Amino acid sequence: MPRFLRPADIAFAAAIAVTLFYPSAGGMLSGHAAGLLILVQAVFIVRRIFGKDREAVVASGDALFVVYVFLFSWELAAAKLNVLDSFLYPSPGVVVKTFIDEIPALLKGLLSSLRLLLGGYLLAVAVAVPAGLYFGYKRRLKLASKPFAKVLGPIPPLVYIPYAIAILPTFRAASIFIIFIGALWPIFINTMNGVSDVDKRVIDTAKTLKLNDRQMILWVILPGSVSSIMSGANIGLSFSFILLTSAEMIGGTSGMGWYVKYFSDFANYPKVIVGIVFIGIVVTIVTFFFDSLERYLLRWRK
Amino acid sequence: MDSVLKLDVQRIDMTYDDGGKSFTALSDVSFAVEKGLFVSILGPSGCGKSTILNLFAGLVSPTGGRILLDGEPISGAGLDRSVVFQHYSLFPWMSARRNVELAAKQAFPEKSSAEISGIASGFLEIVGLADFADKFPSELSGGMQQRVSIARALAMDSEVLLMDEPFGAIDTKNRVALQDLLLSLCERGAEKKTVVFVTHDIDEAILLSDKIIVMASGPGRVQAEISVGFKRPRDRVSLVKEEGYVSIRNRIVSLFYADIADKIGGGEVVI
Repeated sequence: MPRFLRPADIAFAAAIAVTLFYPSAGGMLSGHAAGLLILVQAVFIVRRIFGKDREAVVASGDALFVVYVFLFSWELAAAKLNVLDSFLYPSPGVVVKTFIDEIPALLKGLLSSLRLLLGGYLLAVAVAVPAGLYFGYKRRLKLASKPFAKVLGPIPPLVYIPYAIAILPTFRAASIFIIFIGALWPIFINTMNGVSDVDKRVIDTAKTLKLNDRQMILWVILPGSVSSIMSGANIGLSFSFILLTSAEMIGGTSGMGWYVKYFSDFANYPKVIVGIVFIGIVVTIVTFFFDSLERYLLRWRK
Repeated sequence: MDSVLKLDVQRIDMTYDDGGKSFTALSDVSFAVEKGLFVSILGPSGCGKSTILNLFAGLVSPTGGRILLDGEPISGAGLDRSVVFQHYSLFPWMSARRNVELAAKQAFPEKSSAEISGIASGFLEIVGLADFADKFPSELSGGMQQRVSIARALAMDSEVLLMDEPFGAIDTKNRVALQDLLLSLCERGAEKKTVVFVTHDIDEAILLSDKIIVMASGPGRVQAEISVGFKRPRDRVSLVKEEGYVSIRNRIVSLFYADIADKIGGGEVVI
């Protein structure tokens, strides 16, 4: 196979051919589906031309192959052969069109969700990191906090949701509290463990330089635990998303989770799929920024 | 020779409690380090030589006996003693310059950041790393990292310099370069620093030292004190031709291997 022709290209050609040229029933909006395919392939081609890391380009080609096969099968089953019920399984074109039409509503939901997410998550980081550093540094505090972390940490924070909604005055306060609790433990425990993983020889050096407690924590313990803190923060972030959308589905009147739940109740499945895809995109973007931050903070490592 | 005692080790014992079993690292160790001298502590691994350095640094306390620094018992670490360890001496998240600046700022809190920065640049230049000042330790070779550690120790301008096998993990070529660097640093300047240098390399000890404390293991104890009187400045090529070099070296070698022979059953060791 010539280098410029990859499995993804063949799958693309098959998907675009069936989408555009195979006759379908009315209202399947195959043009929108073709538009999506062409957009994705165009991004892939640009990446192939300018991408420096050949292995990454090949990997994204392989991933796209799977995506194209999926879109091909979906289009064929939902829009062309009508083997899937179009009420439960909207065609790709319908989902694309719905997505475009719903962008303002989705962004409004995103804004509402982010207010809760950032409120709870940043509060958790602000409490868990300093507390984890200090508790990890003071052995006695660490030992005292272990049983609490052991018992309270593994409780799935989802179970707090109904009670939190009941006791807190607003849904907003309840969501922020639940996200806060959910993100707090993994960040706190990982930060505390990160402190004990700081190389003893580095700490000895710091002692010979007579660093005081404040300098020791800020200049030695904190940077030395960054890797562990970030993995705790990553787990905390995943928990936050789960808790956010769950809380919104249970008691919200806006936001991304509410959007999916609301339209499920009306059996508007194109919007349900759009809501799910949108959440996927948001999580991907947030993860991208999170990973960039982590790389920056750990740039001193080889 | 100046005979003011900088460090005075008086009958120290060091016993670690290792999960119910106690382990004696040092037993009845006494020796002195005179002000301005370069003293090596030489011995096989497990003889407690690094423990002595950690005691000098104030990172641990002896379980028996005492160590006097300028006539006062050592209590904890101090900026009057700078330390170069074998590994992981530098903060990996700080550039070479930041590492040196941090130490200089600790030693001279009253100096402005411009002055501190000047001190750091100066010492990085002396150790030959002016062009690498902004690199992280992970971007430097092992030898370069030890140069930064030396620059950091010098930037503190402490009276005592403690070095724990600083060149132990460096390849031969770079080790020679670092030994020469240290030799030239020790010979410049009006007020000479007191250096305590831990090593297991006999030739390195003879090249650098005014006095060598030879230690034996199991438990760690002093076997002999040997004065090395060769004139300075020294260089490694002419030093080996000096009268007395071979006899000093032979004496240390026989002490060294007598100890090892004891360990493996007292029989003859063919080297």
